[in-house]
Amino acid sequence: MVMIIQTYWSMLLKAMGRTLLLCLLSLVFATVIGMIFGLMNVGRSRVLNFIGTVYVDVVRGVPLIVLAYFIYFGIPAGIQSLGFTNFKMGPLLAGTIALSMNCGAYMAEIVRAGIQSVDRGQMEAGRSLGLSYGAGMALIVVPQAVRTMIPSIINQFIITLKDTSILSVIGFPELTNVGKTIMGNTFKNLQAWAIVGIMYLIVITILSKVSKRIERRINRGR
Amino acid sequence: MADKTDVKISVKNLKKNFGSLEVLKDISLEVTEGEVVVLIGPSGSGKSTLLRCLNQLEKVTSGQIVVDGLDVTDKHTDINKVRENIGMVFQHFNLFNHLNVLKNMTLAPVHLKTLSKEEAKEKALQLLSRVGLADKAEAYPSQLSGGQKQRVAIARALEMNPDIMLFDEPTSALDPEMVGEVLAVMKELARDGMTMVVVTHEIGFAREVADRVIFMEGGYIVEEGTPDEVFNHAKEARTIDFLSKVL
Repeated sequence: MVMIIQTYWSMLLKAMGRTLLLCLLSLVFATVIGMIFGLMNVGRSRVLNFIGTVYVDVVRGVPLIVLAYFIYFGIPAGIQSLGFTNFKMGPLLAGTIALSMNCGAYMAEIVRAGIQSVDRGQMEAGRSLGLSYGAGMALIVVPQAVRTMIPSIINQFIITLKDTSILSVIGFPELTNVGKTIMGNTFKNLQAWAIVGIMYLIVITILSKVSKRIERRINRGR
Repeated sequence: MADKTDVKISVKNLKKNFGSLEVLKDISLEVTEGEVVVLIGPSGSGKSTLLRCLNQLEKVTSGQIVVDGLDVTDKHTDINKVRENIGMVFQHFNLFNHLNVLKNMTLAPVHLKTLSKEEAKEKALQLLSRVGLADKAEAYPSQLSGGQKQRVAIARALEMNPDIMLFDEPTSALDPEMVGEVLAVMKELARDGMTMVVVTHEIGFAREVADRVIFMEGGYIVEEGTPDEVFNHAKEARTIDFLSKVL
């Protein structure tokens, strides 16, 4: 085990870095996607409700690994068959898209539930003062919804960090993929996977602790 | 009847359905400037719905509502602009829970640029002292009693400088000992000449303050008149029956 760490430490740390990069990018896009589709779902427009629901249902109904294959292999194949034979998509791009879409669908549900948890009277009071629907959302409803959403968002972030490992299947050299490489080189299954597992555990534990602190700080202002 | 130019609210043949349920069947009414109209009636009679139609928190099914000369049932009317001029006070206060009292009051006028930040703050502090809560400017809604919340809610509505105030059962969610402080603020408003439409079960308030009492039941206006006419000399059997239960 010590031997593996001595030989592969820089490779492992770089892989961890790529895992975090993939996770961070996906979380940023997922938050935007979640906000957009979540707001579509709570609005009064039937068309937007429908689009929002379809997005959430489709993405949640497809396993992440299948979504990743579809985006990494399926979409370039489709575009190439249209004559753009040079079209390629890197694994980081494909991975970010797949993970953002996946996490975004769950975030949309969190946003929807958060907004619906705010009493309807809050929006009505805002509207009665002359605020538009958008201003009422932005200034009154969403700030209150965010507080109830934070524990679920943190939970979703942790799930997304772990889900990056699934993207080892499309060849992105994140931590799990590098774990496979090390295992292949050393044939030390137990040690290699223990090291990889512990690395995930450390990062996620730190993340949970930091989030708990943020959550407490926000709740104190209530 | 008052001069036509004094009419602040005019409702003609208003109908409102929730799905297949007809809540308002055929309501026509006029409210003139400075008038205090009290709506009474059993629950489910449609009085709150009528009030909520006046500022379009409920969309009407058919009929016409004209407020300050503007047809609020017309899609082309800028309803947000009209609402700036119609304050509303809710049964459950609906203070913005994430903001302190001062921010609750200044949010809308500052966002809508009807007042500058400084003007809004100054005005808010004046209004708070008028409702007896000058020391609560920095408090959050969760730190206030029900009566205090409702007085803040009234002050918040007044901050927009409305011509008309709507009250939707403003004392129904209050502990009995807090009803008086809210009614006192409302009485003062009425004395200052505010046009008010009040849904309430406070018969004492109606007797003392109302210019006109309207009794509603089953989506219709059954009877209306001065407090004396309605409370002491009701003509309709349904009014008499209702009053015998609440008086």
